[in-house]
Amino acid sequence: MNLFERMQKLDRRWIYIVVALAIIIPLMIPYDSDNVTTPPTENLYQMIDSFAGREDRAILMSFYHDAATMPELFPMEVAILRHAFERNVKVFALTWSPAGAPIIEFAINTVKEEFPDIQSGVHYCNFGYKPQAFAMILGMGDNIANTMNTDAEGRKLENLPIMKGINNYSEMNLVVEFSGSVAGMSWVTYARPKFGLNVAVGVTAVMAADLYPYLQSGQLIGMLSGLKGAAEYEKLVDIFAAYRDPMIDYSITVDEDGNKILPGRPFGREILNDESSLALSKITTQTKAKFTADQYAAFTAKYPEHLTLLNSLRSDEEGLAVIDVTQITPDMRDQMGEVLFRELNQLTRNTLYKFKVARIGMNAQSVAHIMIIVFIIMGNVGYFIQKARGAKD
Amino acid sequence: MKKTIPLLIVILGGLIFVAWAFSPHYLIQEVFYNQFYLPWIYAASGFAMFLGVISLSMMHSNKIKRRAPKWQYSYLFFAGFIVTALAGFIGGTQKGSVLMWMFENMQMPMSATMFSLLAFYMASAAYKAFRARSPEATVLLVAAIVVMLAQVPLGVRISRHMPAISQWILDVPNLASKRGIALGVGLGSVATSLKILLGIERSYLGGGD
Repeated sequence: MNLFERMQKLDRRWIYIVVALAIIIPLMIPYDSDNVTTPPTENLYQMIDSFAGREDRAILMSFYHDAATMPELFPMEVAILRHAFERNVKVFALTWSPAGAPIIEFAINTVKEEFPDIQSGVHYCNFGYKPQAFAMILGMGDNIANTMNTDAEGRKLENLPIMKGINNYSEMNLVVEFSGSVAGMSWVTYARPKFGLNVAVGVTAVMAADLYPYLQSGQLIGMLSGLKGAAEYEKLVDIFAAYRDPMIDYSITVDEDGNKILPGRPFGREILNDESSLALSKITTQTKAKFTADQYAAFTAKYPEHLTLLNSLRSDEEGLAVIDVTQITPDMRDQMGEVLFRELNQLTRNTLYKFKVARIGMNAQSVAHIMIIVFIIMGNVGYFIQKARGAKD
Repeated sequence: MKKTIPLLIVILGGLIFVAWAFSPHYLIQEVFYNQFYLPWIYAASGFAMFLGVISLSMMHSNKIKRRAPKWQYSYLFFAGFIVTALAGFIGGTQKGSVLMWMFENMQMPMSATMFSLLAFYMASAAYKAFRARSPEATVLLVAAIVVMLAQVPLGVRISRHMPAISQWILDVPNLASKRGIALGVGLGSVATSLKILLGIERSYLGGGD
């Protein structure tokens, strides 16, 4: 048996080992890579961001899947929840499947740990498992509180602060359906034409091709497809929603005219295209907060009582003032307080593991895709050489 | 009679829902749908779940009684079912409960593992079966490689045009075929529905006619 015949008859267990290594190694050793964002993801991000800080707007997240599809769908759900909590967007959640109920709890709890001020019934509301999707979809178009009646904790919806200004789809104007199927089409069929509800979906990669017609026709306003969609959304949240300007004092939440001041910043194409913004979405561990001279002056002006401490931590690199948070001792942390410590950590642009899972996964997917392409090419090379030899003989 | 009554129920039920879909009249939208149908369907869904549990339990208990192949696994079904139900009923479903612990540490990793096996089968199938045997297969193969490369950050490093080419493949040839299939399925569904409503299609009643 020659080499090419052997290649054709390669035991599949060797392929399994190579694929396993191609996935495991990049997961264990993360590296920075750029996930270029696509219009379906950007459109969804911008729609959610347009609700930021508004009492009379909310999004609905429908978790219509079980644990099997969580590796692809869960990072999307976490990214959107993080975006909403960062930018003060009201969130409602439900599931049409009993298996989805614990996923809602898990997703909300995962994100909420980093947002101590976020409260159930005030900033978000979990409807829990609801049977009879079609009836609910249509009912919410008339009145959400009457249709859903209670939340997952059994509280009457009409008594919850989150319901202030929210009656039906005119206010809860966007639904994002997460599923491993084309279940999002129910919203397109029943709620979009009758009530004008904006519909977006987060689906597993294998289902994305089925939904492109609806995206192109405008019936879906956005789509997150598989881990790539989740990675793109994570990147947008890092660059815009989770962005903190060292010169702005975020403890002030209302400006002189009474308008809300929201953390983060609005979506901007020029920011996204700027190469320097890549530094805001790195997945490797970042420990240094970097400031220009003006930024450092403005930042320290917010904490005049800690100026000496900050100066003692400061070093200079490439013309920038740098504070390495790993140099902060427990005593220094006690001295500076939790607010300053948290802000310094945010300014390092370090992202917690749970908020970069999809991007780490995309690194593994990169290598796996390359491996599959190599396998295809190898298989074809072996096939054609063997075929040519057969014809020659 | 044995078939006439079920047939009439289906035809009547079907026509009512045709009316509901096309008529905004108060009688059909409010009286029938909101006041009559919705409360019934809420009640029925609970019983449907109960029926499912009974049916599954009967299937597994029969399997154990008959010592059918792999009957031992049916005990695992009962163990899983009882433990999960008790955990939910007694401990609740909130963060830190036994049910959530089981969900996070058992159901989630096990389900995800099953789903992730797909990657291994795909890689193996790609190696063993994805051959450029004909011009059509070659087009498919090239398109697959371009889309796969464009999906990952590495593809953009190879060429910045990769995402645009991939998007074109998804937006034009992919959509053309998808729309064709969708139209075919839609027309087929309408034709089948009409056949059922008019009593022409009766195979769902059983009996072979």
